[in-house]
Amino acid sequence: MTEPESRLGAPTVFHERRTYRRRRIMDAACVSPLLTLILWMIPMIWPQTGDGTVSSATALIYIFLVWAGIIVLTWGLSRLLADEVDDASNADT
Amino acid sequence: MSTLNLLVAVCTAYVCFLFLVAFVADRLALQGKKAWLRSPLIYTLSLSIYCTAWTFYGAVGSAARNGFEYLTIYLGPTLVMISWWWLLRKLIRIGRTQKITSIADLISSRYGKSSLLAAGVTILAVIGTTPYIALQLQSVTLSFSVFAGQTGGIDPQDKAGLALWLSLGLAVFTVLFGTRNLDAKERHDGVVMAIAVEAVVKLVALLSVGIFVVWGVSGGLTEALARIDASEFGEWHTDRGRWAGLIFLSAAAFLCLPRTFQVLVVENDDESHLRTASWAFPLYLCLISLFVVPIAVVGLDVMPEGANPDLFVLTVPLALGENGLAMLSFLGGFSSATSMVIVAAIALSTMVSNHIVMPIWLQLRPSGASVSGDVRNAVLMARRISIVGVVMLGYLYYRMSSGGEALASIGLVAFCGLAQVLPAFLGGMFWRGATRLGAIAGLTAGFAIWLYTLYLPSFGVGTILPVSIVENGLFGLSWLKPDALFGIRGMDQLMHALFWSMVFNVVSFVVVSLVTFPSPLERLQAAQFVNIFDHSASARSWSGGTAQTEDLMVMAQRILGAGEAQALFLRHARRQGVRGNLPAPTPDFLEALERELASSVGAATAHAMVGQITGGMAISVEDLMAVADETAQMLEYSARLKEQSEELSRTALELRNANQKLTRLSIQKDAFLSQISHELRTPMTSIRAFSEILRDTDQMTPDEQSRYASIIHDEAQRLTRLLDDLLDLSVVENGQVNLNLREGTLRDALDRAVSSAAIGEDGVRLEIERNPAKEEILLHTDLDRLSQVFINLIANARKYCDATSPRLLIRVMQDADRVVVDFQDNGSGIAPEAVDMIFEKFARVSDQKAGGAGLGLAICRQVMTRLGGSVDYVPAARGATFRVVLPYRTALAAQ
Repeated sequence: MTEPESRLGAPTVFHERRTYRRRRIMDAACVSPLLTLILWMIPMIWPQTGDGTVSSATALIYIFLVWAGIIVLTWGLSRLLADEVDDASNADT
Repeated sequence: MSTLNLLVAVCTAYVCFLFLVAFVADRLALQGKKAWLRSPLIYTLSLSIYCTAWTFYGAVGSAARNGFEYLTIYLGPTLVMISWWWLLRKLIRIGRTQKITSIADLISSRYGKSSLLAAGVTILAVIGTTPYIALQLQSVTLSFSVFAGQTGGIDPQDKAGLALWLSLGLAVFTVLFGTRNLDAKERHDGVVMAIAVEAVVKLVALLSVGIFVVWGVSGGLTEALARIDASEFGEWHTDRGRWAGLIFLSAAAFLCLPRTFQVLVVENDDESHLRTASWAFPLYLCLISLFVVPIAVVGLDVMPEGANPDLFVLTVPLALGENGLAMLSFLGGFSSATSMVIVAAIALSTMVSNHIVMPIWLQLRPSGASVSGDVRNAVLMARRISIVGVVMLGYLYYRMSSGGEALASIGLVAFCGLAQVLPAFLGGMFWRGATRLGAIAGLTAGFAIWLYTLYLPSFGVGTILPVSIVENGLFGLSWLKPDALFGIRGMDQLMHALFWSMVFNVVSFVVVSLVTFPSPLERLQAAQFVNIFDHSASARSWSGGTAQTEDLMVMAQRILGAGEAQALFLRHARRQGVRGNLPAPTPDFLEALERELASSVGAATAHAMVGQITGGMAISVEDLMAVADETAQMLEYSARLKEQSEELSRTALELRNANQKLTRLSIQKDAFLSQISHELRTPMTSIRAFSEILRDTDQMTPDEQSRYASIIHDEAQRLTRLLDDLLDLSVVENGQVNLNLREGTLRDALDRAVSSAAIGEDGVRLEIERNPAKEEILLHTDLDRLSQVFINLIANARKYCDATSPRLLIRVMQDADRVVVDFQDNGSGIAPEAVDMIFEKFARVSDQKAGGAGLGLAICRQVMTRLGGSVDYVPAARGATFRVVLPYRTALAAQ
């Protein structure tokens, strides 16, 4: 059983929190390409001669792991942002 | 049956299958079963148009030659796709709202529907895409020759014939399914479906070869990875500049290539599909590129020295005796090539017909769009010819370049050329300050540098660019050498060209945008594009109302088709509430019509066509001023209306007041009548009573007799006075009074009035303040009447002043043309609501103090009017103040 005060207060707090989360999810969707770009630029600073060169197999695994990671991340974000997009496309038509 | 014949049979069967798929999809779409045809999955698969035969075969080749560099070609588009939220969503919304038909249309529409820009981008796209189409033809003929190589090879003549037949087949397919409907914005369901099927075929083919290589040849994932490490790949070696540069280039190309723009933006049916594609297409790219390195490594191991690594995808299974797999792989490559040619041809033909053919055609027809000729058929024909033209151009390019190695590098060269659109493209989407001239400048600079440093040299030294220029620079200036601009040498040729073209492109675009001023239409479009999510309303463009709807109807029918045009006009007529089928040519309607037309013939052409009929080519400052003027007129009109309504309400108020006054008068008249009858009856009653007493009483003392007789006499006198008053008023009112004009002083008149009125019957004396010296004014007037007025005023003061010790101030003032006499008492004055009544007949301030019949002031006012002056109540003063004004003429005459 909830007390009347908290019942009155809860929805607005909940709503604000939800709106806030939404905004941050949008931010994440904007930032994720930048993160990916940085991760994919890292091979540029790998040493190319001498000791410590990265083996091709490792390089391949690294790049594809980043790839898989960003696919999963984008999938998650696109699910979270589903309402925004669907609302917009419905409103448009 | 020879392998070659089998190959031809399989190809033919496959092409027939594609025709069938496209046909069935179109049929289903016509029947309205679009849900499945337009699913996010189909959209995602259709994006795979990015992966052409060049990537299908070339990726392995590139991996074998340059190691991991091939990955960049897939990383760039992945980055673009995961930027869906801030980039692609906006792009697609713009595309949908503005009914964009191609990348050239987008640029043109953003920069004030500029025909020049549209034509420029179109030419750039044709130059960039033609070699690409040639590349696809080459890849197909190469793969044919691989199979044929087993059975003795095919001669070059057959190769050329094959390429020709292939181009013709593709052109027919594209014409059949790509120009089914004119509305380029309408999805080509058949084509998209065929592309999606082909996307699956190429993915399955590449994955099959990869799985075969990893698990069939290498013996498992770990072994495959070990094999990679053991091969000449060994360690990570990548040109850092190329790694970054190629990621950028492929990302730019993904956005700017006509074919990817076509499927990404133009064929997009629902914004929410992007949500799926944002992760699904990167997944597709990831899978496509997953087995490239293992295939390359195994190919380098298995194949003899000097084998073309570009064909490892085919030759490795063939060499290992997997003919079925090789056939699948061949179909994958074939799919990549055909789908690219089909979509590129559709995209380019839309651009060419909308931005080059139609404007020229319209220019050549002086009569304009409204007179004769079926524009609809003309547009369709233009598009069909463009398709055939584009494909044949690719074929010619293939023949000219004789299918040499030079073609292999053309992919990146084309990417670099089309990337020149990027600054104007992104600048237009995110920067309101980007102007048409800026875009033209940027495009021109970037295009020129790309042409000089990359495209022309790509044909080989001495082919188009003379050897002298390559060795010594343009005009012999060494800092203008095409491979080392400004003397900076040592850069990779592609990166060199990309760097300088982009630098000059962006700098000219920004600088020229900063210093130029956009036209009003440009500024409107800029706001529309940049703030697309704020107002997804359509672009405003028409303000004139001079267009003839019938002409518009004629034109629209030719472009949209009769049924659709009539439906559109009818819809707008209903919306406007107009009877009949033709709506009024309002700006809203023109705008909507233009947008509809734009989806068929492109924004610039649609604007020009509507412009030819409406008479205004674009919104101008004059138009805006006219709009402003109209607004001002409306404001003025509404102000006038307001004024009128105020006047009306004022009149109504006056009428209401007058009515109230009349009602009050009527009530007072009734009250007066009852009063007067009462007044008449009271003396009559006492007269009758006392006369009866005198008549009937015998013993009466003379004293009593005389008292009763005098009462009768008094009452009779009172009656007489009352009747006199009434008579007097009616005489004065009717102007029948004779004025007895004579000379006298004001003081005499006042003296007389004061002596007769200052003391009432009840003996109460009114204190009167006077200034006799000022009263010495000679008058020539009816002094008796004047005295009567004064008496009335003094008597009123005496009767109605409510002060404990009533006092009356009589003040005489004299100015240039009149004499003013004020009678001011020290009472509380007259109530405001009674002020306008006191001069009316029968009016009395209160019933309680009913001393007279209420005729006094009415008589006063009539008398003063007759004397040429006035008597008024002065409301502002303290106490009750009456002001008598005598014209000076009256006074002067006396002096």
